[in-house]
Amino acid sequence: MPEIEKRSIEKTVYELSSQGRSTNLMPECDVPEAKLPVDLLHEDLHLPELSELDVVRHFIRLSQRNFCVDSGFYPLGSCTMKYNPKINEACARLAGFSQSHPLQPIDTVQGNLALMFELQEWLKEIGGFAAVSLQPTAGAQGELTALLMMRAYFRDRDETGRTQILIPDSAHGTNPASTTMAGFEALEIPSDEHGNLDLAALKAACDASVAGLMITNPNTLGLFERNIESIVRCVHNCGGLVYGDGANMNALVGAVRPGDLGIDVMHYNLHKTFGTPHGGGGPGSGPLGVSEKLASYLPGPMVCRLKNAEKSEPAEKIKPVYTLFTPEKSIGRMNSHFGSFGVFVRAYAYILQHGAEGLKQSALHAVLNANYLRERLRGIYPLSHDRTCMHEFVLQGKIEGSSVRAVDISKRLLDYGFHPPTTYFPLIVPEALMIEPTETESKQTLDAFADALKAIAQEAVDHPETLQTAPHATPVGRLDEVRAARKLKLRDDGLQIKL
Amino acid sequence: MPMFIKRVGFLINPIAGMGGRVGLKGTDGLADKARALGAEPVAQQRAKQTVDELLRLLSGASSISCLLLQWLTCSGDMGETVLQSAGVSANAFEIVHRIAGDPSAEDTRQAVQHFLKKQADLIVFCGGDGTARDICSVAGFDVPILGIPSGVKMFSGVFGANPAHCAEIIYAFLQDRLTTAQADVLDLDEARYRAGEWKVQLYQVALTPFEPKHMQSAKTLIEDIDETAIKDGIAEFLLEQFRCDASMLVLLGAGSTVKSVGDRWGIEKTLLGIDAVVNGELIGRDLNEQQILELLGKFKTRKLVLSPIGAQGFVLGRGNLQLSHTVIRAIGSQNIIVIATPTKLARTPVLRFDTGDAALDRELAANGFIRVITGYRRRRLVKTML
Ligand SMILES: Cc1ncc(COP(=O)(O)O)c(C=O)c1O
Repeated sequence: MPEIEKRSIEKTVYELSSQGRSTNLMPECDVPEAKLPVDLLHEDLHLPELSELDVVRHFIRLSQRNFCVDSGFYPLGSCTMKYNPKINEACARLAGFSQSHPLQPIDTVQGNLALMFELQEWLKEIGGFAAVSLQPTAGAQGELTALLMMRAYFRDRDETGRTQILIPDSAHGTNPASTTMAGFEALEIPSDEHGNLDLAALKAACDASVAGLMITNPNTLGLFERNIESIVRCVHNCGGLVYGDGANMNALVGAVRPGDLGIDVMHYNLHKTFGTPHGGGGPGSGPLGVSEKLASYLPGPMVCRLKNAEKSEPAEKIKPVYTLFTPEKSIGRMNSHFGSFGVFVRAYAYILQHGAEGLKQSALHAVLNANYLRERLRGIYPLSHDRTCMHEFVLQGKIEGSSVRAVDISKRLLDYGFHPPTTYFPLIVPEALMIEPTETESKQTLDAFADALKAIAQEAVDHPETLQTAPHATPVGRLDEVRAARKLKLRDDGLQIKL
Repeated sequence: MPMFIKRVGFLINPIAGMGGRVGLKGTDGLADKARALGAEPVAQQRAKQTVDELLRLLSGASSISCLLLQWLTCSGDMGETVLQSAGVSANAFEIVHRIAGDPSAEDTRQAVQHFLKKQADLIVFCGGDGTARDICSVAGFDVPILGIPSGVKMFSGVFGANPAHCAEIIYAFLQDRLTTAQADVLDLDEARYRAGEWKVQLYQVALTPFEPKHMQSAKTLIEDIDETAIKDGIAEFLLEQFRCDASMLVLLGAGSTVKSVGDRWGIEKTLLGIDAVVNGELIGRDLNEQQILELLGKFKTRKLVLSPIGAQGFVLGRGNLQLSHTVIRAIGSQNIIVIATPTKLARTPVLRFDTGDAALDRELAANGFIRVITGYRRRRLVKTML
């Protein structure tokens, strides 16, 4: 058993409260005091009373409870939890970026526009696309945006009978969810025994009711879709469009351009591939790259260079070089301003720091790390498919001679100080454990993780209940996750405010 | 550490499966004939494989495991012999029913009554559809049942894949790591089946241990036992498609999935019958072939909603014989809508049609795949087999 000290539960500020204690940081009042309406004054608010030191310690302790890439290995498949270089943060904090206002006149934020313009251009080049919009603030929002664009595209062509979006059964849940949100119907296509999309099924599904296919390549099994060209042809032949879910771009950057494969539209997850933080559910960024066909439907505002910008001007008056525009048939905005600007700065810094060759090396190392780890775990856990994997792979959390399940193995990993892999996804692999080490981890870390999984496999046989009741070292033990998701408790009952 | 006791009702139909080897279609009422033809008992052996494997799993769990297993069983060949030969100690099982003479269906029913009285957590039986039907007729929805496959016919959704798989299911269920799901219990009329008629009746719905489906929630997946939301989604999607035609005849097929659509629509759908709905009103219940044909004569537009029988995948030809090939041709194959929850499809890899009209079956099986509604605006392409 690993030697990990059990951490205690951090009390809430209400429990830490001590009557009469306070942090009086208010300056002397230098304006006339206004009386508050009597009926709004309360004696019984039960606000916590703490000193500044109490507050600092409380929040520092809470922050230390956080598991993050900066504190440990985080092989959460399909999420690309790579290290986010600190230089990105330094750049994002530069005053010119962090202190500009989204409503500032554009000739006062030319540097910001330049950065957005170049990022658009780089993402066009990396993916092989005709145009890029930085609007969507997450991968899933990129999906929705693209589907709305596809709807507009078919409406313009009077092909409103196209209501079906084909989605492989290995796809991420956001694909069908975005589909129904955009007013389409999802049709799930089975995978074949090699973990690829079943071509016969795809052919059976392709008809005039198909608006498009959403495909993740490499797919969520971490396998490259070998038939990608036939797949794209099949969908195009029936008049449909092909959506690429770019969540797994970390395996391809610099090596394969989705646009070259015939993908019509794809979202990037800057917060995965380009080393920007995932931040508890946001801020993310899911720029869309499109082929010529869809370029005029992109959401604005996008950034372009002014036509006569090259001409030299008198030094005293700098003329704007960049401006905003919205494409002709645009589906409109997806967000009130420009998307997640702070994330653009980080991604820009990341790409600049790596350069074309560096980006490609990262992808190759991500694939190498995944294959190394997969080989280390061979024979200990069953592999979902015995093929060379891309940047991630799927194991089954099953041990011969033991009744433990994937969830037990994941929970036990917490005791060993590792974040668990993605568990029970993709849905088509029973007891799935989906592992994505990313390129930023060293061989030592990968070995330590493999050793932990090996030790856990032994524990599963010797004393399975240790796993079935794990985690033991965390402040709280095994949770009832169904109840936690279904019956949210969002209020501390100690807090009783009478109004 | 708190101890908890789990009780398993264990019952073997010793003659189950004997007929199959000697070409009899079932063994009900034919055990002597089967024996004369040289049939050997198979049920004992398969039941023992399950018990052996279960004991192996239980012994693998360490001594601090707090699960105590108490067997409830019948005397002799109906359970006792197998438990003894597997090495279950005498104080770990209790004979709750003694058999006098040849074991019969009545013995099965009485044993199940005793299992219920003794508060069994699970009934494990070894047999086929006939045994499942007998057990289910007493157990109803009070206790989940699991079949070790050993019969000639196993169309019901309560069977494990093989004896070892059954042991794994029992082991996980006893540790509260599985939930229960509804499954259809079917049995065909053996006399008619032996005469070459391929007719199966849908008998009942039972509870059976089941792997919980996984539900996606943000970046994690959690297990959820509740399928109501999914069934509601299916019902809603169907309504959305039917709403635009108030004069359309909607025929609702048999089984628990279609029934829950009826429940959601606020109509009193029969569980096993074919019911008719027009513009949200129930206009006919438990219709027979003739009544369906008459209705089809009155309505120009029509849809038929069906759900496959779990595991074996029959959409037509099992449990819904009213839907003869004449009826299906009158409805039109393009008007048939198949629905199923993802949980059901997870153990139903292929769908089949058996209307008795080969050309029609081919038409229904389409080009090897059909679209099945699995949720609100969600369908899945599922393989068909002839
Ligand atoms: C394959 C795949 N597609 C789409 C998404 C959605 O991306 P986002 O989380 O940025 O909305 C994810 C997220 O994990 C994913 O793994």
